[in-house]
Amino acid sequence: MEKSVIVKNVSKKYKMYAKNSEKILDLISPKGYGKSFYALHDISFEANKGDVIGIIGVNGSGKSTLSNIIAGIIPPTSGSVEIHGEAALIAIQSGLKKELTGRENIELKCLMLGFDKKQIVELTPQIIEFADIGDFIDQPVKTYSSGMRSRLGFAISIHIDPDILVIDEALSVGDQTFADKCLDKMNEFKEKGKTIFFISHSISQMKKFCEKALWVQYGHVEQYGLMSEVMPEYEAFIKKYKKMTKKEKKAFQENVRKSRIVNA
Amino acid sequence: MKSAWKVIREQCKSLYLIRRLSLYELKSENTNNYLGMAWVVINPLIQIFIYWLVFGKILGRSNDIPVDNGVPAPYIIWLISGIIVWFLIQPAIIQGSKSIYSRIRFIAKMNFPMSAIPSYVILEKFYQHLMITGIVIVILQFTQFKISIYMIQLPYFMFAALAFLFSVSLITSTFSTIVRDVHQVLISLMRMMFYLTPFLWEPARLADAGLPDFFQKILLLNPMYYLVQGYRSTLLGASWYGIDHIGYTAYFWGFVLVALIFGSFVHLKFRDHFVDYL
Repeated sequence: MEKSVIVKNVSKKYKMYAKNSEKILDLISPKGYGKSFYALHDISFEANKGDVIGIIGVNGSGKSTLSNIIAGIIPPTSGSVEIHGEAALIAIQSGLKKELTGRENIELKCLMLGFDKKQIVELTPQIIEFADIGDFIDQPVKTYSSGMRSRLGFAISIHIDPDILVIDEALSVGDQTFADKCLDKMNEFKEKGKTIFFISHSISQMKKFCEKALWVQYGHVEQYGLMSEVMPEYEAFIKKYKKMTKKEKKAFQENVRKSRIVNA
Repeated sequence: MKSAWKVIREQCKSLYLIRRLSLYELKSENTNNYLGMAWVVINPLIQIFIYWLVFGKILGRSNDIPVDNGVPAPYIIWLISGIIVWFLIQPAIIQGSKSIYSRIRFIAKMNFPMSAIPSYVILEKFYQHLMITGIVIVILQFTQFKISIYMIQLPYFMFAALAFLFSVSLITSTFSTIVRDVHQVLISLMRMMFYLTPFLWEPARLADAGLPDFFQKILLLNPMYYLVQGYRSTLLGASWYGIDHIGYTAYFWGFVLVALIFGSFVHLKFRDHFVDYL
């Protein structure tokens, strides 16, 4: 199997400043100052071409940070990410300019993604058809409903034809018919041998669509394997966690948080 | 030096992109107003009117100001031929400085060099500058300062202004992304520069006011001084400013070059981590 994404020992640290003065100290002192928080700690995994991988984990476990690192939006603090091909992130906040019309936004985004004039002329009708928002395409995006906005954003992102697709909760806003349309499109991608990372809190959607699962727990990879094997364990963990008393929950959270904070 | 080359190459490669993006920028900035693009012209006109009223009338600067070739020019003519540079520099510096941190969310994962962001923001301001300059040239045709051979300096000074703005914006956009306060400092600094550059007063006044000679020399260190005087000589057909002050021309381009090299260096050094500073 050909590899498409190789993530090796990736960590992402964020500085935690109590005061603004600490920020300045950190900038000035050569060693850095203050406490850091590990959003991700020593993550390693590999993905093959054609894999559809669901990233699961509770809130604050680093799913979005990981997806941003895979898509190349934020650099890791240490470790390496090897990407074979073009990666694209599709998120709810798809970065449309609200004063411009839908059609103008299509050109703008395509331009920024490095398409030339001819390609843009070719792509625009396809994107408009997929977004399916009718006459609104020539209205400013600020007049769109949130559903329409995400449809347009999704339509653009999906037509840029990336080799690696990272979908961060983007499907949860569309209605059922649009979600189905997107799933169809993604199945098409799957057949073409593209790698898809899928983040969603809808477990049923995950089970239906993904073959593999990457369970990220508090910055670590807890498990990585087939969806049918990982998901039951994840569900078991959720169940166990829900059963804990309030005190136990708090102690558990506190413990985890402490382990992610280091000096400098 | 290497990084400066890299940045320049990136600019050349994304020329089409920079042009299109700056047009969209212009559009999205003005579509919300009923008068649309007209504001690009109305705003400067109002400001010119106020400066003329306060400095020309109330403070009694109604006497004519001799330009480089000795021809006296009415204050209002003298004012508009120079202040248009300010209407380019001021917004371009301010917007250029915040160009990266205000757009990085929107732009983070796009396939184009980040050094193109300040340039398209500056180019957008330059379109507005072209419109205002055009209007000023038309106005000047109704005075004794008609189009002359000196006008061929105009493209040169426009290019000089763009080169200056781009080099400075590379530095400011990088530092204000890392430390937001830099932008605030810059705003105050620009407000100061407006009064310390001969936009509202002519350099001869400094000696009249009894200010020491070295004070004038210090003011000359400001590259905007070069630009505003150059524009004036060009539009009023007064002199070949760049050639007559060849030493000053060398200083100006030296400043731009150093700023470009330093700006490219810091830009390339930090740009992969811009997102972390949000």
